Amino acid sequence: MGEKTIQKGTTFSAQETVDKYRAIYYAGASGDFNPIHIDPEFGKMVGLGGVILHGLCAAGFVVKTITDWLGDPGKLKRFKCRFASPVHLDDVITTTGEVIEVKENRANIVLKVSNQNGIDVETNVSAEVEV
Amino acid sequence: MSIDKKFIGKTWPAQSYDVCKEKIKEYAKAIKNPDPHYVDEEFAEKSAYGTIIAPPTFSVVFGAHLIEPIFFDNELNLNLAMLVHGEQEFEFYEVVKAGDTVTTTARISHIENKEKLDVITIELLSKNQQGRDVCKGIYTFVVRK
Repeated sequence: MGEKTIQKGTTFSAQETVDKYRAIYYAGASGDFNPIHIDPEFGKMVGLGGVILHGLCAAGFVVKTITDWLGDPGKLKRFKCRFASPVHLDDVITTTGEVIEVKENRANIVLKVSNQNGIDVETNVSAEVEV
Repeated sequence: MSIDKKFIGKTWPAQSYDVCKEKIKEYAKAIKNPDPHYVDEEFAEKSAYGTIIAPPTFSVVFGAHLIEPIFFDNELNLNLAMLVHGEQEFEFYEVVKAGDTVTTTARISHIENKEKLDVITIELLSKNQQGRDVCKGIYTFVVRK
């Protein structure tokens, strides 16, 4: 794998579609069977308009965007996000990252994570990676 | 009823988790991440890690073994019907590999009582079988009143 140039201003981006059964897959793999994620009727009853995807699954998509860009998952040292708005099935999540600082062997990254309607589903998203 | 701030500092007994490659592959599939470090054994053997490694956020799989008893803690008595996951932070110190045994401890680091909601932050620290820190997961939950 070639050496990647990581400097202030470097950007990267990726998109992920939340397919119809994603929350079921994630519930099974993570053990989080909260009914808001797997039971559409329960989701409607509590005002979510159906099931919502696990925040940590959506965070997994964002982390994938970073680690795909890095080429080595072990280089991710810190990740932080706020779950600002629910992610629904069939949503398309776009993640864009930008390097804001490179200091010694670490780079700080801020990310924008939004759905197909331009709503930021995660906010205050940041990461620190080894360079 | 507000969450009592006296629970700041409360800890839970350590839980051990054996990380296996099949669970890693299952989790990677669930987050739609077919990175060969997680799913391709031949690639993984030739990689710098020498074996299948876990995706960074796999830590929530062993973390769940602590989060669940906290959610159902009688003394803390969280109102789960009103609880949402507000924020998440991870610090990664060492990669988790298939075959590792990870031991995790939990501690309430912060409780804040606001007019319409409470905020509770739980810190999970995980160590591997060599006693080295592998990651810290900082979970912040919001409980509406």
